[in-house]
Amino acid sequence: MITLSHHELIKFIVCIGAMLIAARLVGEFFRKFKMPLIVGELIAGILLGPSFLGTYFPEISKWFFNGTGNVGIALNGLTSISVIMLLFVAGMEVELSLIRQQGAVAFKTSLVGLIIPLGLGYFFGRYFYEWFGETNANNILPFSLFMGTAMAVSALPVIARTLMDLGLFRTRIGMIIIAAAMFDDLIGWLLFSVILGLLNKSAGGMDFVYTLGMTLMYAVGMLTVGRFLINKSLPWAEKNFTWPGGFLSISLGLAFLGAAFTEYAGIHAIFGAFIMGIAIGDSVHVTEKTRDIVHQFVTNIFAPLFFISVGLKVNFIMNFDFKIVLIVLVLAISCKLIGAGLGALWGGLSKKEALAVGFGMNARGAMEIILATLALQAHLIGEQLFVAIVVMAIVTSVMAGPMLQFLLNPSVNTLKNAFIDNNTTVQKSE
Amino acid sequence: MNLVENPFKKIAIAVAFSPRCEALLAEAKQLQDKLGAALVFVHIGKKTFHQEQYLKHLIHRFGLDSKNNKIIWEEGETVDTILAVCQNESIDLLVAGALEKENLLKYFLGGVARKLSRKVKCSMLMLTEPNIHPTGFKNIVVEGSDHPKSEYTIAAAIAVGKAYQSASLNIIQETDLSKMALIRHEELKEAEVEAIKEEFVKEEDHKLEAILKCNDYSGLTVCTERIEGKPGYVISKFAREKQADLLVLNSPDKQMNLIDRVFPHDIEFALADLPCNLLIVQETQYTL
Repeated sequence: MITLSHHELIKFIVCIGAMLIAARLVGEFFRKFKMPLIVGELIAGILLGPSFLGTYFPEISKWFFNGTGNVGIALNGLTSISVIMLLFVAGMEVELSLIRQQGAVAFKTSLVGLIIPLGLGYFFGRYFYEWFGETNANNILPFSLFMGTAMAVSALPVIARTLMDLGLFRTRIGMIIIAAAMFDDLIGWLLFSVILGLLNKSAGGMDFVYTLGMTLMYAVGMLTVGRFLINKSLPWAEKNFTWPGGFLSISLGLAFLGAAFTEYAGIHAIFGAFIMGIAIGDSVHVTEKTRDIVHQFVTNIFAPLFFISVGLKVNFIMNFDFKIVLIVLVLAISCKLIGAGLGALWGGLSKKEALAVGFGMNARGAMEIILATLALQAHLIGEQLFVAIVVMAIVTSVMAGPMLQFLLNPSVNTLKNAFIDNNTTVQKSE
Repeated sequence: MNLVENPFKKIAIAVAFSPRCEALLAEAKQLQDKLGAALVFVHIGKKTFHQEQYLKHLIHRFGLDSKNNKIIWEEGETVDTILAVCQNESIDLLVAGALEKENLLKYFLGGVARKLSRKVKCSMLMLTEPNIHPTGFKNIVVEGSDHPKSEYTIAAAIAVGKAYQSASLNIIQETDLSKMALIRHEELKEAEVEAIKEEFVKEEDHKLEAILKCNDYSGLTVCTERIEGKPGYVISKFAREKQADLLVLNSPDKQMNLIDRVFPHDIEFALADLPCNLLIVQETQYTL
């Protein structure tokens, strides 16, 4: 068995310590300016990576984060585990019954909000791939499908936080946006797994139809029978194990097993973890406290490690191409505004509210960065496009709040007024 | 003064000639006595001499042969025909016997009582253990969630509680904080999260207080309790633990179907495993 030498082990531990502290310090600095923590975590990675430390202090950078040898392999393994956990937590956030409850408006918003970005992303990826700095036309189908998915995905936590800040979280419009984003995420990750399956096939992996069949079988099986069995066995586990510590071990253990299964089936491990997250998170026995412990554990330890590693992989300064950034940004914003906006209009909302839904759904956040990182690792996209997508994810997340604030001014928002009217009705009856 | 003095003026009893038929009619008699309602006995199936005589005998035995009551015999698909009768007769409350739990296949396909509960446009009372000597509803648990329908549901529960001289009426505020984790892990401090939660709770408490102010519940011991968890599930669990004999819930916002049973929410949790008798309150045009 290969083990890290004494020197390598020290290096590995120092790297993790430095990454966690740097992510927190820079993250907290940006939090002071009302920016999401993830922005700071990414910038910490950029500072420690080839963009800054590697350019100005190459010796230090080489000692710490050269990404080669056993330490590089260990760090790579750690970030792979981090992304599996992140997707597991993202899955736990998806509430299938909420999508069902919100009915036609959420479904229409979600459906059109998914189809139009997918279609436009695919179209531009297929016929204008040079615009994105891509020259290799061999992988054009997976690339164009990836562009479609990248345009369609949304960031649930960013959306939820924005709605909360605006006092819209528990209103009807808030729930519509949340439910639609959940559905988009579900389909988006399913599609991305299929894209990775396509790549796998072209790299001599398992048969694509077999892989697709396994994906669907796993998803349907886990979301029905698996979900049912998990829900039935959790009370037993709660009675017999220490709780919520036992939940943490069991749920993460199942997430890794699910991830291993989908990785074996020729799809990326993240899909297995994501679906397992939905199946576990949907249980009536998972309380807010338990859920929160998993979230805190993953998002304060593994998320910073992953996001900082993004900055360590790529030179953001050298690969920043203003033209590509602008194209990706305009395309991403237009896709979501048109898609989700039209969907909300179709669902019966006013023009202004529909536009607000569009801006709400436009926030891409962490999910987009995870998607882009995996695409970069799979050599599906180049570093310039990767940088452009990361910038787009940050810009769309930061702009969601102010735009919603502007559009959903309580004095003109009929849905919020309807919510307030419920109170008034009660008081009138006194 | 109550928001609703008597929510159920006309009650339909779905009669099947099962072993529980007698008990169901005994419960019907008590409902009539307590609520002063007119009764409509509905049986779907071919009218035979033997069955007709048996039903008449039971009605006479329980003193239900008043001129306010009537019997309707219809043939056709059971659920749809009962629904049509309810519509035509302007029924306020449909009463049917229901098993606490159905086997998995029957649950997904839907037994008669559960099918009715998902489709009916008026209120519905599902009696899990009708008794030949009805014990009434001593402990009532009612949904007090932050929903526009709760106002009427609570008023109806108070009216039933007063009529039955119930010992207690527990109003349960279900707080689903599962989505709080979505926000918390982003960048909030513990104190900020607590403040947000407190604000949620305060807002809901004010609404409930306002609802209670509109109702006269003198003579009833009304308690309010807040439970965290999935709406529908936690209230059912509470009703079971407290050994309540009536659980009162809001009617669903839209018609439920198979998908709602696969991905259950709200009332479907109660229907999957009835903790006690279940009253689903629907504000109909007739009750206004």
